[in-house]
Amino acid sequence: MCRRGHLLLIAALAGPTTLAAQHTAEIRARADSLLREWRQASALAAVQDSLRHAADIAGRDTVRAGALTILVNPSPLPVARAAARAWAQIERFYGTAGEALARQPLVLRAIDPDTAAQQNPGGALPVSWDVSDDVLTGLLVSLADLSGADPALHDWLGGALIPSFDTEPRRAQVYVELVTAPSQAVRGCFRGDRLACRDALSLAGTPDMLTRWYGPDERRFLATVEYGAFLNQGARAPEFRSCAGGSDSACLHLLESLPPGSLRRPLSYAARFSLLQTARALGGAETFHRLFSAPPGPMGARLAAAARVSEDSLVARWRADVLAARPTPVPLPPWGVWVALGWAAVFMSCGLGSSRWRVS
Amino acid sequence: MFRVILYAQWKWSRLVVTLGTIAAFILPILSVQGASPLPASPMRAGEILTMVQAWGVLYPVLAAALGLLVAIATWAPDHRGRHVHALSLPLPRWRYVLLRFGAGLVLLAAPALAVLAGAVFATRFAAIPSGLQGYPVALAIRFGVAVLVAYAVFFAVSAGTTRTAGVILAAIGGVVVVQVLAGLANIHLDVLTPLQGALLLWPGPLAIFTGRWMLIDV
Repeated sequence: MCRRGHLLLIAALAGPTTLAAQHTAEIRARADSLLREWRQASALAAVQDSLRHAADIAGRDTVRAGALTILVNPSPLPVARAAARAWAQIERFYGTAGEALARQPLVLRAIDPDTAAQQNPGGALPVSWDVSDDVLTGLLVSLADLSGADPALHDWLGGALIPSFDTEPRRAQVYVELVTAPSQAVRGCFRGDRLACRDALSLAGTPDMLTRWYGPDERRFLATVEYGAFLNQGARAPEFRSCAGGSDSACLHLLESLPPGSLRRPLSYAARFSLLQTARALGGAETFHRLFSAPPGPMGARLAAAARVSEDSLVARWRADVLAARPTPVPLPPWGVWVALGWAAVFMSCGLGSSRWRVS
Repeated sequence: MFRVILYAQWKWSRLVVTLGTIAAFILPILSVQGASPLPASPMRAGEILTMVQAWGVLYPVLAAALGLLVAIATWAPDHRGRHVHALSLPLPRWRYVLLRFGAGLVLLAAPALAVLAGAVFATRFAAIPSGLQGYPVALAIRFGVAVLVAYAVFFAVSAGTTRTAGVILAAIGGVVVVQVLAGLANIHLDVLTPLQGALLLWPGPLAIFTGRWMLIDV
């Protein structure tokens, strides 16, 4: 009886273990099977992509201007002329670094502007073939984005690297940001603190910029207003209420809990791009060659090395350029008042014009 | 003679001028109502600019409305009386028109000065964050000139006959119809854009009304 009891006890204890082991093995087999299926699907997708790409570029003309290579279907689109003009601007901006564009040909699909048929360009960029030379040139220039070759630069910039020399409107926009951005770093930068400028532009490469970018009031605003809908739910709700009640540590903790990279940077893409333009202006045509070949590190040091000035000088020059581009506060040209008075006189004289009294 | 005409026009348009003057004084004050000297929120500068810009839309609207209503009030009694009173005066038409125009301008000076007073008051008592500045004089000058242009345009239309006004309206309607028909026929013809540019961009006659009307700006 006692032996039978022991056997029963052993069986009772071993039963779940055996079942669990069987269950684990079954799950592992399923996981392996899923992995095989996924690999097979990935391989098929790659083949499909490759075939689609081959179909995209099949039957297209190749237009080259410098390192700019464009694959485009035969059409009246003035690609060669626009490519030559675009390459002149691209080369002037990137210098020898622009040669890297040879590795990334642009695929265009010229389409009939009058057709109502559905276009299916695949991976090619559709372009109506009646666009002007200037528009097409601008499009080709905007597609010459070399930031893909430098992920750190791409992440820092937060957008495409466009070979543009058009600085004034962007700097005017940055001026408004310096005045209005809700960030202690930006305000400090506007007042002349270059360290604050470096923080605002994320040049130091420090991973946690939260406390340097935003003060306590700004952190509370960000947590309760900007990210309020996301943070005021689930387990974070009590901490959210605490933050709204004035606890800075709660606000800090809430903002730190945001997914990496989702915290709003105090200055926009325009500000960082304008810094890049300043570096280009200081460093000349070979700036990008030096930038792309610089060793990895904080973006401020890399940009300064590319511009061949100290980081402090680079930031100071950028700030001076931005302050000099202050937008016109009252958008009225100096002669505007006189022109308006002239028009008033013209209209008034129209009232004088009638030679007799008329009622109809 | 000018005093008599001015008094008559004041009687005809006093309601419009009084209400317009009150609105012109209040508008700048309302546009900075959030910029109080109370403890500033960190978003204040951006909010102030947005708010001032939003309220700024009303300045050209008010200027155009004042010009229109005063111009109509200037000529309506003459049209109603079939110009008998004007014809009975020992004046050539051009002089009579000038007197009417001048009297209207004097009356419209009140709302323009009210904008100046309201803007100075608003910028003096609002808490303007560092980096932003008030532009009360520039805004008031612009408003005054916009009122003048609007008044001159509508004065010219009102001084003319119903037929003249009909011709102007028909011309505008004709351009719109041509544009619509061109669009329906899929013809690449853009009449409105160049016309719009000629009117609304400098040195066009209505350019004074466009752009941002900012009492406070960077």
